[in-house]
Amino acid sequence: MAALPKRIIKETERLVSDPVPGITATPSEDNLRYFHVTIEGPSASPYAGGLFKLELYLPDDYPMCAPKVRFLTKIYHPNIDKLGRICLDVLKDNWSPALQIRTILLSIQALLAAPNPDDPLANDVAEDWKKDEQAAIKMAQEWTAKYASTSSQ
Amino acid sequence: MGNIPAKETRSRGASYSSGSSTSYSDTFGSRSGRRNTTSGVFSGHFIESKRSRRQEEKDKQRERHYNNLIVRLEESIDGGFLAPYGTYKSNLDYDTDIVRRLIIQRKLAPFFTPLQDFNESWSDEELLIILSQSTLHTIETAYSEAEEEEDDIDNHKIHKSQSYFRRQEQKAKLKSLITRVKEKQKEEENRFLEEKVKAKEGQPCSPYLFSKDLFLKLYRNASECPICFLSYPPYLNVSRCCLQPICTECFVQIKRLDPHPPHDDTSQQEGNSSSTPGSNANSLPHTLISEPAHCPYCAMPDFGVTYDPPSDIRVGIEGIKPSEYHLSHKKRQSIDKPQIKSSHSSSNSHLTGLHANSESGSEEALQEHDTGKGTEAVSKDLYQPVKQSKRRSSLASDAVGVITIDMIRPDWEQKLISARNKLARKAATASAIHASNLIIDQNSTLDARANNARSSVQNSYNTNLHSIEERMIEEALRLSLLDEEERKKKAEQEKNKSPSS
Repeated sequence: MAALPKRIIKETERLVSDPVPGITATPSEDNLRYFHVTIEGPSASPYAGGLFKLELYLPDDYPMCAPKVRFLTKIYHPNIDKLGRICLDVLKDNWSPALQIRTILLSIQALLAAPNPDDPLANDVAEDWKKDEQAAIKMAQEWTAKYASTSSQ
Repeated sequence: MGNIPAKETRSRGASYSSGSSTSYSDTFGSRSGRRNTTSGVFSGHFIESKRSRRQEEKDKQRERHYNNLIVRLEESIDGGFLAPYGTYKSNLDYDTDIVRRLIIQRKLAPFFTPLQDFNESWSDEELLIILSQSTLHTIETAYSEAEEEEDDIDNHKIHKSQSYFRRQEQKAKLKSLITRVKEKQKEEENRFLEEKVKAKEGQPCSPYLFSKDLFLKLYRNASECPICFLSYPPYLNVSRCCLQPICTECFVQIKRLDPHPPHDDTSQQEGNSSSTPGSNANSLPHTLISEPAHCPYCAMPDFGVTYDPPSDIRVGIEGIKPSEYHLSHKKRQSIDKPQIKSSHSSSNSHLTGLHANSESGSEEALQEHDTGKGTEAVSKDLYQPVKQSKRRSSLASDAVGVITIDMIRPDWEQKLISARNKLARKAATASAIHASNLIIDQNSTLDARANNARSSVQNSYNTNLHSIEERMIEEALRLSLLDEEERKKKAEQEKNKSPSS
């Protein structure tokens, strides 16, 4: 494998030296392009109290193309599907090389705080969300307690 | 060969491959009485020769493109080069002729050699040691993955199409081209190394080696490009919209997204404006859009940069030799003492008032800037070279001096058109298949409804169906024969070529 670009090395160093509150990202030992990520559910959201595990991979073209990010913890969210895939513009066409691992994870945390059922990835969840938001929020809280509570991990 | 019954031709089509294909097409021509089959073969020949000529041109262009990507010691300007260092993989698809010209015209920052690390507390000696170890290019990173074998869909097919062979040939050609370019870059690198050794031993060496003063002038106040995180001299390009620095190597990486169908949001308007005139918005292939690249920092559409060349460095092309660049004694001392103030104030005070050797006639008269007062006001434009006429506001994408992504990749429109054509062809094939299915469907429903009442109509449908089937088979045969013939012709050409060469 080719040497790791300086940018990835520096980003990793800076993630350690200047961590983002509520977010951790540690590179895997055997592949420094693969990160184990955890994101705390934002306090004012149905995901509060949950700790969500994600995986993040920096493709060869990074930073000219977006990192690949996926939820590993089950989550009830209109923009995140059963496989953990995330519908977020900055992970697709709106990616910019000036964004970083840290900013992308912050965007994902923000997505937890502001679900967008009008641009759904998980259609069933989005429908529930639109039909009865209170019930959907309750469901999200239940899932958080069931799958993402820190005590259960 | 004369008239061979179609069935036989069909069943033995494969074994006939040794014959000439014109006689086959004669067979088809006389049998079905359709002229276009025969003319198809002739126009095929014509297209083939045209195609090979076009291919030659393409090859030449590619050769030129790759040769332009070689970093040469002699091709430096203001302490940077005309080709990228190789931070990114070798998929550099920008127009190298245009970028070289822009760099020589000082409209775009040259490709400076990046420093992997930079620490302001380094002494000049330490900095010079690190700089003396730098190479012209990082061959291993840049060309590392170029050799990776890409899987071709036809690899798994028994019958390999003509385009498969063409693709393979292209791949092989590209591979050998890259090897040659790599070799040339290595030669440059070795020569560079030899010159450096000579310089160390005090022997006469290339005047293109950078003087210590030039190195210090460039890198004493290195700044980091926010995209590749590498350290460069502070004379970087600046985004036209939000005044953010970007090194040229990152700039040439920014590109339009591949042509794609419009989203259902605001981007649609942009798409319409960028679509070519005369395109039909109703049919799907024509709705493909290609949006101009956005600024990576502020997402403003139509990303462009400006470059303020340092007024006190004029070395390399159209300037003095890089080895002749010297700072005056006084200024040198001020550079020798790294200031521990905030980075911007130190960078500004260093950048001014340095002057180059008076040997050069073309050298511009140097102005001593009085930066003492200006320092605070310009603190925002930390990375910009200090210049009296510094830009403080954003510029339009068509303003003078702005270099946009479309300027260094003028082929985007061509790409969009070919993507549309490709989709249109696909759509046409799909609708042809759909139409033939409809005929079959219609036929079977008719079968069921009017069993024997309308036998004449049914017959006509049957013959219709039959002829369509036949025609499709003929077409397939014709194509495979053409393929085969072409392959043979090529083989013959190779044979003819090899003894002569």
